[in-house]
Amino acid sequence: MIRFIIPLIAILLFFLEPIFSLFSPIEINGNLYVTVPRFLIVYLIFIATYYTSKRAIIYGFVLGLLYDMYHIDIIGLYTFMYPLICYVAALVIRQIERHTVTVMVLSVVMIVLLELLSYFFASVIALTSIDFGEFFTSRLVPTMIANSLFIVMFGYMFKQITEKRFFQKQAGF
Amino acid sequence: MPRFFSNKRLIILLVGVIVLVALIAFSLRDRNHANVPEQAVKDVVGFGQSLVTKPAHFVTGLIENIDTMLNTYEENKRLKKRLETYAAMQAELVDVKANNVKLRGIIDKQEDLRAFEPIQATVISRNPDQWEEKIIIDKGTTAGVDVNMAVMTAQGLIGKVILSTPFTSTVELISTENSDFRVAAMVVGEEEMFGLIEGYDRTSRQLIMKRLDSSFNVKKGMQVISSGLGGIFPKGILIGEVTEVSTDDYGLTKLAYIKPAATFSKLDHVMIAKRSMTVVDGTDGGNSATTKGDDES
Repeated sequence: MIRFIIPLIAILLFFLEPIFSLFSPIEINGNLYVTVPRFLIVYLIFIATYYTSKRAIIYGFVLGLLYDMYHIDIIGLYTFMYPLICYVAALVIRQIERHTVTVMVLSVVMIVLLELLSYFFASVIALTSIDFGEFFTSRLVPTMIANSLFIVMFGYMFKQITEKRFFQKQAGF
Repeated sequence: MPRFFSNKRLIILLVGVIVLVALIAFSLRDRNHANVPEQAVKDVVGFGQSLVTKPAHFVTGLIENIDTMLNTYEENKRLKKRLETYAAMQAELVDVKANNVKLRGIIDKQEDLRAFEPIQATVISRNPDQWEEKIIIDKGTTAGVDVNMAVMTAQGLIGKVILSTPFTSTVELISTENSDFRVAAMVVGEEEMFGLIEGYDRTSRQLIMKRLDSSFNVKKGMQVISSGLGGIFPKGILIGEVTEVSTDDYGLTKLAYIKPAATFSKLDHVMIAKRSMTVVDGTDGGNSATTKGDDES
């Protein structure tokens, strides 16, 4: 049963992201703040930490490809970035203690990295013309705050699920 | 410290980067047409997406209903005041419409640029990394949606279709940074003042209408609608209201800032305008799509 839950949650998060982006941008005091939902990558980082990094990279590749084809119409951006982020997260987590809080902090750092990469690509292929200062205040910081809330709410649950699956696999299922 | 990259991994990474660049270059070349595998992926993912989005819309709808119920009293008072003027306007409108039909009969002109067939659709997702202002709706070519058609809400124009597959369509919102996004529009006043909506000012969140002849007397507060002369949009879709008029860089034509009538966040139900008159490829299509011939209905 739990065997199917891991990919099912990934697919559910993949479908939830575009719904939450319908509420963005948020207007506060006449300024627009763009919050980018990055739920899937958080979950993939938890998989990379508590289950196997190989599995996380495969999910990242497949869902990244779907993301590119469905939303962006440029194939190769998220197909590359999701597995890369999972790989880097797996490298980092090998060096530090696997405490839930450290993984949560790592997830936020990885979201920042993903946003920076995504900003880099968007500027290179001229999808956007905003400068770095505006990107930082109107996009990066709100995204960090919004996703931190998500991580705090669901991080512990993700840890429980992925860890359970890992122990199950060790027991030989 | 373990070795950061083994040889095998380094090769995989390098090959990955090369494939990535090749794929990006390949797909950037022709973004406005989806090939068969892309269409299949869009339709399948779109189906799954609508299964998740429609319950979500239901829930947000419920919350909004409760929210509106809380200030019903205030709203009712305000609306009652407006209702009196509304009845008079309604009577006038009916009269004008009847008159219009009669006059059209006299000059024997049946076709109308204003006539369009609305296609109702639900927004199923918005591009999550919001570099581009794109939404995806749940109607595609099987429902009659085609590239470059106007998309609107009850409030006004919100964008146009840039890509359609059999069961989904991608809509680019009018608040885009894309400079190729043009809409043939006109300011409604004593006379029809034609211009082009070209570009969006991100800081003030207003559309920019260019190429207004300098003899036109455009004033603040005038309404802007689509002119139908772009070839694909029907005439008369509300776009917004003029807030500021100035001259362009060369001082030859006027330039107007327009506050959009529609809001672009929390979109749920939209309407695609399939115009009844012959569709030709003009400014609305960016002269990109193939001309549709005489397929009027």
